[in-house]
Amino acid sequence: MDLSYTAEDQAFRQRVRAWLAENVPRQKLTTMEEKKAWHRKLYDAGFVGMGLPREYGGRDARPMEQAIVGEEMVRAKAPPPLNGLGIAIVIPTLIHHGTEQQKRRFIHKLLTAEELWCQLYSEPNAGSDLASLQCRADLDGDEFVINGQKIWTSGAHNADWGLLLARTDRTAPKHEGISCLLVDMHSPGIEVRTLKQISGSGEFCEVFFTNVRVPRENLVGELNAGWRIAQTTLSYERGGNTLSRYARMLQQVTRLLEVCWVLQRDGRPAIEDPVVRQKLGQIYAEMEVLRYASLRILSRLERGLRPGPESSLAKLHYSELDKRVQESILDVLGPYGQQVGGLPDELALVPGVDYGEEGSWMYAFLWSRAGTIYAGSSEIQKNIIGERVLGLPKEVRADRVAAQTARAASGDGAD
Amino acid sequence: MDFEFTEDQVMLRGLVREFLSEQCPVSHVRAMMDDPRGYDRGLYRRLIQLGTLPFPEEYGGAGLGMIEQAIVLEEMGRIPYPGPYFATVILAGGALMASGDRRAQARYLPDVCNGDLTMSLAFLEGGIAWGPEAISLSLRRDGDGYRLDGIKRFVPFGQSVDVILVVARAGEGRGAEGISLVAVPADAPGLAIEPEVMMDLTSKTATLRFEGVRVPAENLVGPEGGAWPAVELALRQAAVGASAEMLGAARKALEMSVDYAKVRKQFGQYIGQFQAIKHKLAEMLELVENAHAAVYYAAWALDAGAPDAALAASVAKSTVNVAARRVCGEAIQVHGGIGFTWEYDLHLYFKRAKHLEPLYGDTEYHRERVLQEVLAGRVAGSA
Repeated sequence: MDLSYTAEDQAFRQRVRAWLAENVPRQKLTTMEEKKAWHRKLYDAGFVGMGLPREYGGRDARPMEQAIVGEEMVRAKAPPPLNGLGIAIVIPTLIHHGTEQQKRRFIHKLLTAEELWCQLYSEPNAGSDLASLQCRADLDGDEFVINGQKIWTSGAHNADWGLLLARTDRTAPKHEGISCLLVDMHSPGIEVRTLKQISGSGEFCEVFFTNVRVPRENLVGELNAGWRIAQTTLSYERGGNTLSRYARMLQQVTRLLEVCWVLQRDGRPAIEDPVVRQKLGQIYAEMEVLRYASLRILSRLERGLRPGPESSLAKLHYSELDKRVQESILDVLGPYGQQVGGLPDELALVPGVDYGEEGSWMYAFLWSRAGTIYAGSSEIQKNIIGERVLGLPKEVRADRVAAQTARAASGDGAD
Repeated sequence: MDFEFTEDQVMLRGLVREFLSEQCPVSHVRAMMDDPRGYDRGLYRRLIQLGTLPFPEEYGGAGLGMIEQAIVLEEMGRIPYPGPYFATVILAGGALMASGDRRAQARYLPDVCNGDLTMSLAFLEGGIAWGPEAISLSLRRDGDGYRLDGIKRFVPFGQSVDVILVVARAGEGRGAEGISLVAVPADAPGLAIEPEVMMDLTSKTATLRFEGVRVPAENLVGPEGGAWPAVELALRQAAVGASAEMLGAARKALEMSVDYAKVRKQFGQYIGQFQAIKHKLAEMLELVENAHAAVYYAAWALDAGAPDAALAASVAKSTVNVAARRVCGEAIQVHGGIGFTWEYDLHLYFKRAKHLEPLYGDTEYHRERVLQEVLAGRVAGSA
């Protein structure tokens, strides 16, 4: 056990820090063109998809190097690259299950953000129970015909392509009738509507499919093998890069400490109030534990151990912690934490942000409510931890009972 | 960056686990609950001679670090081991090492290392505080020696160790000024030792009353009036060590609960199938794994002399205090009525964890310390 960074890692961190100091845009990126140009710059510097094998445009970077880049990007307040979900989920899916032609056609353009991607999984009636999805893909000659609705699709309004889970066999048990397809988001019959979230912003979309035709060659893996394919890559989304999440919380709490010297509470700076100090000490301690736990995961990854169901512990940890941290921040700041317009600069997280824009205390507070829902809710994570880490018996579930009853009934019929 | 244990550390854990499971069954733990000394000298001597000690080899120790002590103590928390290992090795031994007083080390540590000498550290007095302001027991020069007057409470195994390191105050100074360490034999005239009866009957403590207790000058450990830094470091190590022991108790309680949820049936199914229980157990695992990360990070930081060592120690104690409380408490809840019985072993872990919770700093004390360290800039990577 040695928790110090190697000289090599420290030197790498210095190089990343120097590059970011030189290159991070001074002004906020507003247009998609500017965002793509910044993404391309990051890619050319080797900081996008860097953990991927070189043959697919990555750098074969070690988990530690990826973590360092993630942390330093937050530290330098660098805008994130585009296609985050695509890089985390679509590329591994293609590498593991795609055809040679699919890999050549899609991976490079995704990495360079020449094409933007979205992930078409959740539906209005298939959230935690994703496998009950109803969006249909019916084979018609050499094409699939897609009909149905997806929701909570990040960035669908900008996307060129989407990774779709759709039902291709309605007679099979629910996990066995799903396929994974690559969909051109510019196809006729696709309608995208942005959803306004509680933060006032609109990152998520609803996507409606009406007789959308997708060539059969865009099937990933085998027909009806979509659930298994999705399972192998969902844990990428869950494992996440917890160190950069820590870095983001640290940035906020460091700013909160500064604000606490200015903000008066009961006639003295908030930082001198023992109750405030308890809250600050608690959230800082909890954040440090997140950092330690992240280092522990990272060191396992460095040893070549893949995150299994344990990644659910990490996801549960940081998303639930984020809610606690944000609540504490608003406790300490009182009404000032909820003020978006007109908040004095000396009390602001980032001065001058408008409602629904990233950079206010309120925005981070509201977004913490999403983290325990997306990418597998806390309740789903606890099921996974209970059953696959602790080995507890599976719960009695109505859909399993129904499937068993159906199987037994069809078995009886065959006799 | 490597958070995994080395092969040697894995072997050490295996050695201690095997030793304790063979030689310290729960029947022994329960026997010691009724024993006035609270431990078995023979078992203690064999435990000491296992080769787990942190002291330099010249005194007969194994020269091991805080990570290894955390491993040993975590294993003890799983039993829970009844005896003065923590008092002797972590508290008194830690203070002796931190004092840098080689003469005192040479006088006591060889006997500690062969198991002939047990020790403890007497710190708390009338109230609750873990800074130098807690100390008012007076140390005065008296002829060619010293005289001690005052009271100490909650001295770990104070009724059954051989020598007690007493944190005392020389002169009328305040704060760290005047804090001194003095070794007092348990049979010194004027020293009255009254056993306290605590909720955790496996952890003995005593009240010590000093009325004109005289010791020779050579019993002073470290400089007269300048011992606070050594005491502070010993308490910091004790906070991490106690956290490790609580982690062991919590993990054991979790394991018992998981096992129970797999066999106990109600409403025609295993209770572990109910989300109410399954989710509770998942939360308990998260708490235990986070406690593990906090304990071993802090132990590493102490060994490495990291700039955030004090921060990490306080993070660990405040984290594990909360985690062990919840995990051991929820373990009783998962078990239901059986978990509330005397004959079922769960309460042994519940009580050991609770016993250590207020000691060497409670949750609020350490959260305040966390903030102080952060505001002083003593965070990771700051050196």
